[in-house]
Amino acid sequence: MKILVCIKQVPDMESPFRPNGSATWFDESDLAFRMNEYDEYAVEEAVRLKEQLGGEPEITVLSIGPDRVIEAIKKALAIGCDRAVHILEPEVASREPWQIASIIAAYARDKQFDLLFTGMQSQDRGSAQVGVLVAELLGIPSTTTLVGFAWADGVVTATRELEGGVKGKVRLRTPALVTCQLGLNSPRYPTLPNIMKARKKEITTLQAGELSSEKPLTGSAAFRHPEKKGSGVVLEGSVDELVEKVLVILKDKTAVLR
Amino acid sequence: MDATREIYWNVGHGVVAVMYLLTIAAVSGAAFGFKERLEIWRQGKPLDRFDRRGDRAQRMLATVFGQTRVFRVKDGGVFHSLFFWGFLTLLAGTMLIMVQADFLLPLFRVTILKGNFYRYFSLVLDLAGLVAIVMLGGLFVRRFLIKPKGLETVADDYRIHALLFTILITGFLIEGSRMAVTELKQNPDLALWSPVGYVFAQALSSLGDGALPGLHKVLWWFHLLLGLGFISVIPRTKLRHILTTSGNSFLAPFEPKGTIGTINLEDESIEQFGASKITDLTWKDLFDSDACTSCKRCQDRCPAYSTDKPLSPMKVIKAIGSVAETSPKKGLVEAVTADALWSCTTCGACQDICPANIEHVNKILEMRRNLTLMEGEFPGDEVRTATSNIEVNGNPFGMAYASRGDWAKGLPVSIMQENSDVDILYFAGCYASFDRRNREVAAKFLRICAAAGVKVGILGKEEKCCGEPVRKLGNEYLYQMVAAENIETIKGYKVKRIVTTCPHCFNTLSRDYRDLKFDVPVEHYSTFINRLIVEKRLKLKPEPFEFTYHDSCYLGRYKDIFEEPRAVLKSAGGKLTEMSRSGYDSFCCSAGGGRIFAEEKLGSRINVKRVAMASETGMPILASNCPFCLTMFEDGIKTGGFEGKLKVRDLAEIVAERIEK
Amino acid sequence: MKLLLVGEYREGRLLDITAELMGFAAAIGGEASLFLVGSAEEVPAFNGTLYLVDAKVYGEYNPEVHKQLLLKAVQEENPDLVVFVHSSYGWDLAPRLAASLKVAQVSEVIGFAGNAYEVGCCNAKMHRNVTPLTSKAVITIQAGAFPALQEGGTPVVKVLSTDVASTTEFVGYEPAEARDVNLAKAEIVVSAGRGIGKKENIEVIRSLAKAFGGELGASRPVVDAGWIDHGHQVGSTGQTVTPKLYVACGISGSIQHLAGMKKSGFILAINKDKDAPIGEVADVLVVADLLQFVPALTAKLS
Ligand SMILES: Cc1cc2nc3c(=O)[nH]c(=O)nc-3n(C[C@H](O)[C@H](O)[C@H](O)COP(=O)(O)OP(=O)(O)OC[C@H]3O[C@@H](n4cnc5c(N)ncnc54)[C@H](O)[C@@H]3O)c2cc1C
Ligand code: SF4
Ligand code: SF4
Repeated sequence: MKILVCIKQVPDMESPFRPNGSATWFDESDLAFRMNEYDEYAVEEAVRLKEQLGGEPEITVLSIGPDRVIEAIKKALAIGCDRAVHILEPEVASREPWQIASIIAAYARDKQFDLLFTGMQSQDRGSAQVGVLVAELLGIPSTTTLVGFAWADGVVTATRELEGGVKGKVRLRTPALVTCQLGLNSPRYPTLPNIMKARKKEITTLQAGELSSEKPLTGSAAFRHPEKKGSGVVLEGSVDELVEKVLVILKDKTAVLR
Repeated sequence: MDATREIYWNVGHGVVAVMYLLTIAAVSGAAFGFKERLEIWRQGKPLDRFDRRGDRAQRMLATVFGQTRVFRVKDGGVFHSLFFWGFLTLLAGTMLIMVQADFLLPLFRVTILKGNFYRYFSLVLDLAGLVAIVMLGGLFVRRFLIKPKGLETVADDYRIHALLFTILITGFLIEGSRMAVTELKQNPDLALWSPVGYVFAQALSSLGDGALPGLHKVLWWFHLLLGLGFISVIPRTKLRHILTTSGNSFLAPFEPKGTIGTINLEDESIEQFGASKITDLTWKDLFDSDACTSCKRCQDRCPAYSTDKPLSPMKVIKAIGSVAETSPKKGLVEAVTADALWSCTTCGACQDICPANIEHVNKILEMRRNLTLMEGEFPGDEVRTATSNIEVNGNPFGMAYASRGDWAKGLPVSIMQENSDVDILYFAGCYASFDRRNREVAAKFLRICAAAGVKVGILGKEEKCCGEPVRKLGNEYLYQMVAAENIETIKGYKVKRIVTTCPHCFNTLSRDYRDLKFDVPVEHYSTFINRLIVEKRLKLKPEPFEFTYHDSCYLGRYKDIFEEPRAVLKSAGGKLTEMSRSGYDSFCCSAGGGRIFAEEKLGSRINVKRVAMASETGMPILASNCPFCLTMFEDGIKTGGFEGKLKVRDLAEIVAERIEK
Repeated sequence: MKLLLVGEYREGRLLDITAELMGFAAAIGGEASLFLVGSAEEVPAFNGTLYLVDAKVYGEYNPEVHKQLLLKAVQEENPDLVVFVHSSYGWDLAPRLAASLKVAQVSEVIGFAGNAYEVGCCNAKMHRNVTPLTSKAVITIQAGAFPALQEGGTPVVKVLSTDVASTTEFVGYEPAEARDVNLAKAEIVVSAGRGIGKKENIEVIRSLAKAFGGELGASRPVVDAGWIDHGHQVGSTGQTVTPKLYVACGISGSIQHLAGMKKSGFILAINKDKDAPIGEVADVLVVADLLQFVPALTAKLS
C-alpha cells in the first residue's frame, strides 16, 4: 500500500499578522511557523494505519513551499512517514488552492497512491478546497471532515462530522482521499529515536513550476485586520477595577442582573 | 605490679591458629558476599568515579571518620555517630591487641600494651564500649519505641540490634570474668582503669574462681564467633552500608551540583535515551541503592512526599535496588511509577541531606528522559501544550516570539540587535518577558541597573526559553535545540557578562550550557546587586521593614548562594526572621523540575505549605529571588487564604523602592 | 447576475440554512434558482426554478452523483455564480463542481464588494478580499453571515436524474451524543475556551456559571480534550445558543464558535489577547487573565 500525506506549514496563529507590501497576504517576518494543525491529524492517522498493517504501507509526505517547510516535513517524518517530497515554491503564498491542488495532482498522478490524507483546511487560508480538488484532478473518490477513520480490505469507512454534533458514516473504495478534522486523533509526540531516524530519511526536492503551470483562478487583495463592529468596549486595568466596571455595565445593559 | 595483662589468658595461645582460620573464613565469606553484590552493580553502565583518587580518599576519610554527613541531622545522627566512634574504637583496640599478641610479641619481643599506655588503653576502650552500648540503646529506643514516622523497621533491624548488643555485652562479660579472677584482688589499682569491666568483675566475682574460667572460656568463644559472624553478614544485611556508604563518599561526584549528563544527539548509535531498565543506569546508580541506609532523611525533606504525593526519594532508591537485585528485566518506570517520577521538583533537598551521598535527582531525570524521549509522554496535557509552545514560539505560554521584548519598551535598556554596546546582557527569561507580575520585577531590575550606571542589553525577540524546565522534564532534545539557538545568538555579540533574575536561567546558562561550549560569565542578580552595593555604585536609602526570606532551591542548595541576597535585603533596611526551614534546609516552592508547567493534581499544594511556613514567622513580607517562586507564592497566598496577612515581594522590587535619588 | 443556489437537506428535512442562501441572493441582487437534493414534499417557497433531485434515489450525501446532477443544472441554468453554504455539505461538494467547471472558488464568504468577496483568514484574525478570475465562480457563504430570507412563492420544479454510479456508499447518521445540559434554552451561558489551559480550570468557569445562574458551555477544543462532554459545546458543530448573556472565557472567537453564539443578546468576553477576534462580536471585551478575573467576578456575584 502506498500512502500520500499532504501537509502545509502555516504561521502560529498567535503570531502578529501584518499585510505584505501588496496586501495580498501576510508579511512573513516575525512569524513562527508550524505544521498546520489539521495536517497533524492527517499524518497521525496515516501512521496509525501503517502500524495497523504491520508497517507494510509506505507513507510519502508532501509539502509545497520555500525551504522553511522542511521543518514541518521533518516533523512528519519523525512521527512516522517514510519519505518526503519537498516541492520547492518560494512564492507559495501567491499560489491559490487550484494551483496547489494541480501541483499535488501532477506529482501524484502516476504514483499509484492507494490513500491520500490531507487536513480539512489550512489554519491560515482556511479554504477547505485543496484536498477535494486533488481527488477530483486525480479522478478518485474523496470525503471530507473526518473524525473517524477505518480501513479494511481496500475499503475506507469514514466518519464525517456534520453540523449540530451529528455524524455521517460513509464507505469508499481505495484509491481515495480523505481530509482530516480536529477530533480524529491526538497526534503523538515524536520520540527522539524517531527524530534521529527521520534525519536519514529521503527528502526529494522538486520544482513546483516543473509540475504544473496552471494559472491562478482567484486573486487576493486587502489583507487586513477586520474592523471592529458593534458596541465593542475593550476594558483593561487591574482585576478589581475590571470586575467593578463589568458589573456596572451588566446591570445597565442586560436584564439578567438585578 | 605491672600494668599489663596476659593476652589469651585462660583460652591459651593454642587458639591462635583456629582463630585465624575462622577469621579468614569470615572475611572470605564477607568478600564472597560483596562479590555477589558486585555482580549486581556491574549490571549498570560504566562511569569513571576513580579519578582524582587523592581528593576522593581525603573526602572519604573526613566524611566517614568525621561522620560529617551523619551528624547533620541530630535526630538519630548523634546516636549513630557516637555509636560509630565507640564501636570503631573497640575495633581498633581489638586489632591492637591482635597485633601485640600475635606479631609484636612473638616476632619482635616487643610489648607496647603495658604501663601507662595500657592504663589509658583500658580506660578508653572501656568508655568506648560504654558509649557504644548507651548509643545503641538510644537507637533502640528511637527505632522500636518512639518509632519516628516513615522509619521502616525490617527483620534485619531486630537481628542487627541483637547482634551488636550481644557483642558489646559479651565483651564486657569476658572482661569482667577475666578481671574477677586476675585483677580484682591481684591488681586492684589497674582494675580501676577499666571502670565498666570493674563493675562487671565485681558482679561476677561471687561465682568464684572455680566457675569463672569456664564461663570466661565459653563467652570468649561466643564473642569471637559473634564478631566473625558480624563480619560475614556485612554484605548480606543492612550492615553492608558500613562499606558501601563509606565507599560512596569516595565515589560521590566532583562536578558542580546539578550537573546532568549531556546526551550527544549526534551519536546515531544510541538506541536508548534515559533509563528504562537498570542496565540503562550506571553502576554507581545501582551501588547507591546498596549505600542507602534507609535513614529516610531524604523522604522527611522531600516536598512531594510531605504533601502526600506518591514520591519518596528513599523509595525510588530502594525500588531501583530491588529491581537490580531480584528482577533485572523489569521496567524501572513500572517499579518506581510515572506519578512518582513526575512529582519530583528536582529541589535537591534529598540529595543534599543524604548521609550516603546518594544521587537521587539524576536517577529521576534519567527515568524521565526515558518517558519523554522514548515514549513521548508528559505529566499532563498542559505540559504538552507548554512544550510545543516552546518548540514553536520559544516560550511556554505560546505568545508570539516576536513580542518577547515588548515588556522593555520605554525602559532603560537596549535591544542587542540595535545596540550591543552594553555592560551586561540581561537574560530575562520567559516569565520576566511575558508574565505581568514578573515583568514588574524585570522593570525594577532595570531601574536598579540604571541607578548604578550599568548599561543593560536584552536579546528581545532573539531570546528563547533557556530550556531548563523541559530539560528537567526529560526533554533533552528540545533543551539542546533552544540552548543552541541562545548560545549562537549570544555569541554573536561581544557579551562580557550575563545577569539573570531567574535562578533557573542562571543555573542553566552558567552550568548546563558549559557542556555546549558556552563560557560567558553568568551571574544571578542577587550577587550582582550585592556587589553594586558593596562597591558603592548603588546607593540605597534604607527604609526599615520586616521580612522572611525564601531560599530558592536553584540559588541556595544548587549554587550555595545564601548570604548575598540576605545582605542586599538587610542593606535595604530589612530585618530578617528566618523560617524554620531555610538555607540548605529550604523547602521548594513547587515549581522546579518543569513542574511550573504542570498542574499539581496529586496530594496537597506544595506552594501553600511553603507560604504557610512563611506565614508562621508572623512577618508581613516574604522576599523571593525567583520568578517561579514569586508566581507560586502569589498563587499560594491566594489559594491558601493568606491574603492580607502576607505579601510576596521580589528582591528587586524591595531594592528599587529604596534607591537614593 | 444569475445565481444557482445549492440548498441543503438532511435526515429527511429541508435545512433552515437554505434561507440564508436566499438572503445572500437578495443581498447581492440577482436572479436566483435553487438546486436541491431533497423531496418534492418539502420544497422551499420562492419564485424561480428549482432543480430538484430525489434524495430517496440519489442519497443525502453522495458527492460524486450530486456533482453530476449539479453539472446538469449548471448546464441548463448557465449561472454566473454557484452558491453553497460553507457547511459539511457545501465545502465537500463545492470544490468538486469548481474542479469540473475549472472555475474559481471562494470559500466562506462573509461579504462582498463588487466582484470581490470578503473572507476571513488566519483563524479569523484577519480578513481579505478574494476576486474570482474566471467568468463563472463557485462560492460558499459562511453560515450566519447573511440574514435568512423567507421569500414565499412557488418555484418551477425541474426534476433531474442521472445514471452515474456512485463511488461512495452512505452508511448512516450517528446522532449527536445525549445532552445533559440544555444550552439552547438557557438565558445565560458561560463558556470555557482553550484559554482555561487545563481540565481542572473548568471548575473556575463552572463556578461563574453557577454564580450567574446560567449554563456551562465550551468551545470545541475543550470538548475535544475530554475536559467536558460534547453536550456543552457551542458552535457550528455543537449547539447554537441565543442567551440574553453569553460569557466567553478564554475563547478566541473562531468563526465556528461565533456561529453558535453570535446571536446572543449581550456578549462579554474575557481574553488576555486584546486582538482576539472575539472582540469583534463582544459587547465588552475584558483584557485579563481569566484565572484571575473570573474568580474575582464570581466572588463579587455570590
Ligand atoms: C469544521 C469545523 C467545525 C468546528 N466546530 C466548532 C464548534 O462547534 N465550536 C467551537 O467552539 N469550535 C469549533 N471549531 C474549532 C474552531 O475552529 C476553533 O479551533 C475553536 O473554536 C477554538 O476554540 P477556543 O477559542 O477555545 O481556542 P483558541 O482559539 O485556542 O483560543 C483560546 C483563547 O484563549 C485566550 N486565552 C488563553 N489563555 C488565557 C487566559 N489565561 N486568560 C484569558 N484568555 C486566555 C487566548 O488569547 C485565545 O484567544 C470547528 C472547526 C472546524 C474546522
Ligand atoms: S529532588 Fe526534591 S522533590 Fe525530588 S525527590 Fe528529592 S526532595 Fe523530593
Ligand atoms: S537515600 Fe540517603 S537520605 Fe534517603 S534513606 Fe537512603 S541513605 Fe537516607
